[in-house]
Amino acid sequence: MSEPMRAVRAFIQGRNPKVGPLTDELDLIDSRAIDSLAFVEFIFLLEELSGESIDPEDVDLEDFRTLKALENRFFMKEAAC
Amino acid sequence: MAVREIKPVVLDLDRLENLAESGYYNPYTMFDWPDSIEPDLPWMSESLTTLAGTPMWDELTREQQIALTRYEAINFFSLNIHGIRELMSEVVMRIHERTYADVSEFLHHFIGEENEHMWFFAQFCLRYGGKLYPAQPTLKADSVDHLSPVARELIVFARILIFEEIVDYFNAHMATDQSLPPIAREINRVHHQDESRHVAFGRMIFTHLLGQVAERDPQEVPLVAEYLENYLQYSISTLYNPAAYRDAGIPDALALRRRALEHPARVEAHDQVLKRTRKFLTKAGVGREAIT
Repeated sequence: MSEPMRAVRAFIQGRNPKVGPLTDELDLIDSRAIDSLAFVEFIFLLEELSGESIDPEDVDLEDFRTLKALENRFFMKEAAC
Repeated sequence: MAVREIKPVVLDLDRLENLAESGYYNPYTMFDWPDSIEPDLPWMSESLTTLAGTPMWDELTREQQIALTRYEAINFFSLNIHGIRELMSEVVMRIHERTYADVSEFLHHFIGEENEHMWFFAQFCLRYGGKLYPAQPTLKADSVDHLSPVARELIVFARILIFEEIVDYFNAHMATDQSLPPIAREINRVHHQDESRHVAFGRMIFTHLLGQVAERDPQEVPLVAEYLENYLQYSISTLYNPAAYRDAGIPDALALRRRALEHPARVEAHDQVLKRTRKFLTKAGVGREAIT
């Protein structure tokens, strides 16, 4: 697992210790692993880890739904090049 | 919205309604908007910026400090605007429900006044800052799905109350801060004046609905307390907008935000902002000590 993804997991578990095992396919939004009040902080964390700015008016929730989707969207670009 | 499970909300609001009527003003004509603001004046009290009291503030140039007061004023007013949009939409949907028939008269004053606040905050941002900061994204699957309908109803009004109390802390200070340009002082003063009535109403309806929650299931009270504590923390964190740091020419905005939020001087400042609200929540039985 990459360093940024470890930080993502640590954030989710820190904010929500009752979340249980975090599988790559767990729906983070429907399971409330990430809720509305944590979402803004989560976006700032992703911006910091990825170095990429996220426009709050142009957020596609599908990019945030699972750990797999997050990794693909924010942390796989260099590997894909 | 499921208000059928909520008992009618009956409150004695005569005094607040009379004050709303006697204090009515025309916001569209009452302010004297200057064409521009003197370049060396802060737009927000320096002691209320998110870096106040930390070495991070001292490390800024004077130009960056003034710029930060300006962009954080724009952020503060933008948060007001987005908060008002949210609360207005919630209240509008309830205003002629049977549950709220007894308080409908006051809710009309409330919505009218909030719409006017939204107008003058936006005027300030657009005239002098040329923009609003956008609202942060929210999730449909909200943080209250695990609560009963009556507790969710309580949360709607609790969010409004907490938002207004935090904003009022800033307004009350800036209403008399002689270092600010008159227009910034005046907007804060007028808002503070109206919000005292809104906060009084907010506390009454909060207490009433909390009573309904506790009567239905006392075990739900700690869950409400947990949500409210999270909401307090969330509200404070929205004041720290990395976009405002970037606009003020401060590098490494996200790391700075993280350091600022955790700084002991800022934690103390947050306690001051939240002191009055925490005291009220504790007295009502839903302070953070009630979380199990």
